[in-house]
Amino acid sequence: MHTYSGKTALVTGATRGVGKVIAEHFLAGGASVIGFARGEASLGGEAYRHVQLDLADPAAIQKAFLGLHGQVSSIDIVVNNAAVLTSQYAMIMPPAAAQAMVNVNLLAPFMVSREAAKFMRKTKWGRIINIGSMAASLEPMGDSVYAATKAGLSTLANVMAKEFGPMNVTCNTLGITAIDSDMLSQLPREKIEAIIAGLPVPRFATADDILNVIDFFAAEASSYITAQTVFLGGVN
Amino acid sequence: MSGGTERREEVVRIVLGALESLNEELDESARVNIGPTTPLFGPDAQLDSLSLVSVIVDVETALTIQWNLPISLTDDRAMSREISPFDDVATLTDYILELLQEISPEQPPVTAH
Repeated sequence: MHTYSGKTALVTGATRGVGKVIAEHFLAGGASVIGFARGEASLGGEAYRHVQLDLADPAAIQKAFLGLHGQVSSIDIVVNNAAVLTSQYAMIMPPAAAQAMVNVNLLAPFMVSREAAKFMRKTKWGRIINIGSMAASLEPMGDSVYAATKAGLSTLANVMAKEFGPMNVTCNTLGITAIDSDMLSQLPREKIEAIIAGLPVPRFATADDILNVIDFFAAEASSYITAQTVFLGGVN
Repeated sequence: MSGGTERREEVVRIVLGALESLNEELDESARVNIGPTTPLFGPDAQLDSLSLVSVIVDVETALTIQWNLPISLTDDRAMSREISPFDDVATLTDYILELLQEISPEQPPVTAH
């Protein structure tokens, strides 16, 4: 078991799916965890602090961080996991759905990362991990905006890696494949299975596949690993 | 001492504190001479762009904690001014006081020093 004792991790979208798995993993490793999510907490315990907010609203994110000042002494690890997905052909994609994807999938990671970096610069240590998607590479029809936001996450991390490097803060992206989650249920099962069948490792991702790379990016020994995107399952 | 004077002194203390924090991070040869007219931006400034960002972040954070309000020093208004608020410590102090007057005309700092 990777140890996170003494660390504070902030995970967005921590109430369900991949975010909950990651938050539970940090808690099991001894970390304190701050969960940012729209919904009510689905985790408990003294080491877990839940912040309910609308991640699509930059002002709400700033307000949430304002509330953390004086409450937590450091934020060491950030996992930008929260995302929304509407899959639709571009010509009939509702603009509001496209805007929501930009706000939650791209603008929120920017806001969370920059506010967390203000904590990290005090401790001169940090790990920012964006949860990307195979969609950024596979560019499936119907996912123009979703794929663009996920591709944007890598660019976001790469530029921040340069800005935050002097503060010993690394910024990386984990491009996950499909894992059975609430988000996946919004897509036709046959569409997902066809994509999975075409992968070099033709199976769904497991929690351990994801946590393995999270541990790698978050490790003390990974201080020289930054501005990298790792895809699961052989996506490249 | 008037409230306005106290507020100015508090803001100057925050700005100079941010510069002192920056100096702690810099090599001795790169340290900035700190004073009420220290240039922050422009040809006379000793700070590079990332150092100025560090100072701005520290000042914003301190102001946010002191007044318990989210305060941004780098909005469009600041960037479009003929005289940049970031020219030197004095112009930055004046700009911060102007912002505080707008968003919190009477409110004293949350914590006293």
